[in-house]
Amino acid sequence: MGSYLVKRLGASLLTAMLSSIAVFLVVRAVPGDVVAQMLGQSGGSGSQAEDALRRFFGLNQPLHIQYLDWLGGVLKGDLGQSWVRGQPVTEVVLKAFTVTLQLGLMTLAFATFLGVPLGLIAGLYEGRRVDTAIQAFNILGLSAPVFWLGLILLIAVSSLFSWSPPLIYRSPFVDLSDNLATLILPILSLGILQAAAYSQFTRQCVVGAFSEDYVRTALAKGLPMRVVFSKHILRNIMISLVTFMGLILIQILGGVVVIESLFSLPGLGRLLITAIEARDYPVVQGALLMVVFSALIVNLLVDMLYHVIDPRVRVDS
Amino acid sequence: MHNNCLLSNIRKLGVAAAVAVSALTMTTSAFAQDAKPYGPDPEEEIRGGNLMVGSLVEPPSLDPFHDGSDGRIRVTTLVYQGLFYEAMSGPVPLLAKSYEVSEDGLTYTFNLREGIKFHTGQDMTAADVKYSYDYIRDPDNGSPGAGDYTTVESIEVVDDYTVVFNLDQPNASLPITLGNKYGAVVPAGTFDDPGARAALNRESVGTGPFKISAFETNSYLELTAFEDYWQEGLPYLDAVTYLFMPNNAALLVALRNERIDFAQLGRPQDSQQLKGVDHLNIQRWESLGQKPLDLDSDYGPLQDVRVRQAIALTVDKEEILQASLGGYGTVIHTIPAAMQDTWGVPVEELEFQTRDVERAKELMAEAGYADGVEMDLTTINGYDWMDPAAVTLREQLSEIGITLNIKRVDLGVWIDNFRNHNMGLTFNDWPTLPDPNMLFFRHFHQRPEGADFRNWNNEEASALLREGRSTSDPEKRKEIYAEFQKILDRTVPTIMLFSADIVTVANDKVHNLYQHPTGWYFGLAKTQLEE
Repeated sequence: MGSYLVKRLGASLLTAMLSSIAVFLVVRAVPGDVVAQMLGQSGGSGSQAEDALRRFFGLNQPLHIQYLDWLGGVLKGDLGQSWVRGQPVTEVVLKAFTVTLQLGLMTLAFATFLGVPLGLIAGLYEGRRVDTAIQAFNILGLSAPVFWLGLILLIAVSSLFSWSPPLIYRSPFVDLSDNLATLILPILSLGILQAAAYSQFTRQCVVGAFSEDYVRTALAKGLPMRVVFSKHILRNIMISLVTFMGLILIQILGGVVVIESLFSLPGLGRLLITAIEARDYPVVQGALLMVVFSALIVNLLVDMLYHVIDPRVRVDS
Repeated sequence: MHNNCLLSNIRKLGVAAAVAVSALTMTTSAFAQDAKPYGPDPEEEIRGGNLMVGSLVEPPSLDPFHDGSDGRIRVTTLVYQGLFYEAMSGPVPLLAKSYEVSEDGLTYTFNLREGIKFHTGQDMTAADVKYSYDYIRDPDNGSPGAGDYTTVESIEVVDDYTVVFNLDQPNASLPITLGNKYGAVVPAGTFDDPGARAALNRESVGTGPFKISAFETNSYLELTAFEDYWQEGLPYLDAVTYLFMPNNAALLVALRNERIDFAQLGRPQDSQQLKGVDHLNIQRWESLGQKPLDLDSDYGPLQDVRVRQAIALTVDKEEILQASLGGYGTVIHTIPAAMQDTWGVPVEELEFQTRDVERAKELMAEAGYADGVEMDLTTINGYDWMDPAAVTLREQLSEIGITLNIKRVDLGVWIDNFRNHNMGLTFNDWPTLPDPNMLFFRHFHQRPEGADFRNWNNEEASALLREGRSTSDPEKRKEIYAEFQKILDRTVPTIMLFSADIVTVANDKVHNLYQHPTGWYFGLAKTQLEE
């Protein structure tokens, strides 16, 4: 396990390194920079003010120097300063990340606790009426775009209950009820799609397991359904379910970009959008690195979990 | 429709004031009070409260010296002040008390108000004024406002409350340049500290009625009343909180549920959805903004002036206004709506402002495009009005054989093209100050004095712009700018389409609301909130 972990971490770091180069180049490939944004329609290019600003931000340096400067900082844990607001990028990104993390984890919990039981029930009662009903939910959930669902929820709740979420995000440690009131609709909008996906996946796993030899044998031995289900089926499909949970978490991190903008949440997705619009390179780079790191960590965690739940993986490695 | 009539009747009365159309009670007093900074005085005494303002735009930063974005200007007008306030009738002294101009127009002497304090607690004196304007006019400091000060040669402190600006050529727009758009009066030495620019996002150093108390990225900005503010009794509110909401639908929902008290709508036609909501007051205000179709004189077929003229003759502005804003605006010709009475030219005296498709076809044929031609039209992501406008324009121009390919780009890309004089045919959207020099000079003067984004390179027009800037007699100025507008009409570097009305929605607890035609939040200095 120890050497495996080292290898795995090494690979992750290499991925992070390559991503950082990609991130650095991609943000600069978009035409227009922060200087043009600041000066807007106030003067043409090549003006003295433009040169002065470009020097201020170090944009007059060759690209590789700019990269090495930045990388040097990153290795020391310093992501630089926002060009637009001057705050330390690490602080801005971490603050936004906590919002996204809370939203992501709560959505994941919602999707898991709704999706997995529904999928298990549907799989157990394949072809019955309850299965049809759950599948109908799955199909509806999977086909509703997140943005549309969010909008519909916002408008429906507003006209039914004359209520809409508070507009300033407060940390759960400061004001829990206000925090939950802010997040409930975003969690539903993101979570319904993922719950449907999770439910559909779980159902397939269960249905698939029923045609496996070990299940047939167990049933033929005369074991009660309850035991077959909990001791045989559930244990065997667990590894697939955990893998899928990792995928869902990464999917949710993608979905937050849209939902944070709709519900005015100061998370990582919205930070990325506004920083890209302002061409605030240090913030874009910092936020993207954070996204890359979270994806790497999620994958790492999923791999670790395999070891815990599946003895076969332990033996192989 | 009824509102439209009223608006145009008021305009016919020759009163260039921004008027809240639905607030009929204030029609007469509003004109007299236009000259008062921050709008009309309230009739009752209501104090306190934190006004929640929904805003679709988040200021990139709060630095009045280096951030040229309109989103920044809107809010910092409540925090920072210049020597003058931008009233529609002309500049009104703000931090200045009065001023004198020398005979030759080269020396401006400003007498400053006494007893003004900065948010830092210091007293404001002439040395601070000199420092602030010296800082902004030095191009090495990278301010987007630097270009407005090229005529200033030096600034001298005479005594604590007198400061003299020496010019190398007359500039009749100097007072309005010393307004609230770029820069402000800040304590001398503010930028000596390299961290000062960033610090402006946390703490303000201005003289305005509000100071910054919190600014959270992608969340909110809270301003609190400045207790030592120099104007007696102002502001009435304890605080103003701007909530940044990047989405129209969420803004409307928040207004309905009283999560916010006040907002300017991103799409004026959205006010239809709020009609009949009891606690909301919807008001329409005249605006200094303009939405034009810009034509780059170096772009393909547009190099031929006849093609540009043909487009001008074919565009049906009213139809585009209906399609893109549901009619919430005023069709314009060579100047924004709010400036038409003071500085505009009657449409009968303009040659290419009345639709004439037959003549347009002839011009196209003369230019060698009888069989039609293809062009790209650029629109900007996030500017909702441009999409319907583009489709409507494509239909209109197909009548004279022009095939438009609509290209939608991100704002950053668009600004880049614009600044690099590579804009092609595009929609644009920009606000101005109520002064023709501020409106035209930078955009239309030949390079290098102006930016001439549209590659117009018109010598005759540039000469008029220089003459207009150095002329202070209002009658003569009007003639010069009328002549300029006729050249604009004949040679078509831009086709001004319409000025959109500013539509505000406020909870009925909000009193004494006033919306400045720039779209900036000046009025909140006198706004009141009933508890």
